[in-house]
Amino acid sequence: MNFKNMARIAAATLVLGASSLSAQAQGKELVVGSSATYRPFAYESPTKEIIGYDVDIIRAVAQKAGIPIKLVNTPWTGIFAALNNGDVDLVISGVTINDKRRQSYDFTAPYFEARQLMAVPQNSTVKTLKDLAGKKIGVVTGSTGDDIASREFGKTNPDIRRFESTPVVISELANTGLDAAIGDNGVIAFRVQEHKSLKTVSDPAFPKEYFGIVVKQGNKDLLAKLNAGLAAIKADGTYATIYKKWFQADAPTLPAQ
Amino acid sequence: MEQILWFGWFRADIILEYAALFWHGLQITILVTLICIAQGTTLGLAIGLARVAEARYAPARQLCRFALRWPATVYVSFFRGTPLFVQILLIHFAVMPLFVNPVDGLLISGPAARDIKQNYGAFLSGVVALTLNSGAYISEIFRAGIQSIDRGQIEASRSLGMPYWRTMYHVVLPQAFRRMLPPLGNNAISLLKDSSLISAIGLAELAYAARTVAGAYSRYWEPHLTISLMYWMLTLCLAYAIKKLEARYGRGDSR
Repeated sequence: MNFKNMARIAAATLVLGASSLSAQAQGKELVVGSSATYRPFAYESPTKEIIGYDVDIIRAVAQKAGIPIKLVNTPWTGIFAALNNGDVDLVISGVTINDKRRQSYDFTAPYFEARQLMAVPQNSTVKTLKDLAGKKIGVVTGSTGDDIASREFGKTNPDIRRFESTPVVISELANTGLDAAIGDNGVIAFRVQEHKSLKTVSDPAFPKEYFGIVVKQGNKDLLAKLNAGLAAIKADGTYATIYKKWFQADAPTLPAQ
Repeated sequence: MEQILWFGWFRADIILEYAALFWHGLQITILVTLICIAQGTTLGLAIGLARVAEARYAPARQLCRFALRWPATVYVSFFRGTPLFVQILLIHFAVMPLFVNPVDGLLISGPAARDIKQNYGAFLSGVVALTLNSGAYISEIFRAGIQSIDRGQIEASRSLGMPYWRTMYHVVLPQAFRRMLPPLGNNAISLLKDSSLISAIGLAELAYAARTVAGAYSRYWEPHLTISLMYWMLTLCLAYAIKKLEARYGRGDSR
């Protein structure tokens, strides 16, 4: 951690310590785990600082909730294990809220509406997933997009082209090697704006998903504080500002739970 | 599909479910390997000859040095000195779009370029990268083979009035080829295994099939063990073919 960060956190701790009445918040900073490979949600800047939408959100939430925090880059594959064994106190890393995870962890209210999104060339007439029949579709191996395409067009369909990461899929699409790409909306939208020849298409049939902040099951105290902080930044417009900064669009209205 | 357990832990059903992908992948892997062995050997021969090109008098002497030996040395140095994985990405995402591009491809443009990229893009890039890479290694095998032939042989055939090319074709290469077979076989086996790297650009070969299954089920034993066995079978076949070739061309040695 560099000096600037330390100074910033020290300052934040002072301000929060003075303003917050909570005894827990004083002194002890909470460790936030995030996998910094998911631009624009969380990624490393050239100076190895973790930045992104998730980071801005958690900083704003923590400030409102009066919790000092420290961000730690935690690999995605071990992020839930780190939460379980106490290496991190909470996780914000583009985690989709689903029933399977709810059985083992507690989630805050949603902070992002995720949905699958298609990327296609500007002149494409594709409107829905069904229109992609017989076309070459790029996805990230094992992602929700892979799942959707496999279910619709068959798991062993040679028209589904699987790659290791979203940037590679988009490069292949931009090089006309594919007709379309499917992936998480935030990441796809971000990558598409880097390529003038591409546009995004959203199929209303894709189900809505939500990202939430994750805490260890039963950590009601922290969960309540985070939810209060989240509600506060949604109410005072901070949330809308952060959303606009990263996605160049107006923030959608999210369900309370 | 219902779960099928082999030996109590091997989920055979997930392999069967993706059987078509594995079968197709096997064919692609074999096809890529055969094409690259043929092209790589041809290229390797050309580069190997360029590496040992020599002439006594100007201007052929300078020509050999600057137009043949130097470029060949730089080529070999580059393709042996950089990772194959990087070469594959470089060729697919940087070099290919330069030559085959619907808008302004230097070689092919228009709708044909789009068709080629969508149907054979990864295959083409993969084959080109693997050929260029193996050509560099094979050229070294040719160079070593040629240089291992006693100079007296060349001098004898030249003194009989045979020109350079006939000396190479009738005297040096047949003897060198025999010695080159074991390292060439080694190279063919490496090539077969290296073809798995092309899965990174989305070519549906064996490694791609395994990655797809691993991604869908988060299970690693089944798909990777399956393709390991398949690769092993293929290398066994290759090794057998090389052994036969060695026996065939080695007959001249058993005087």
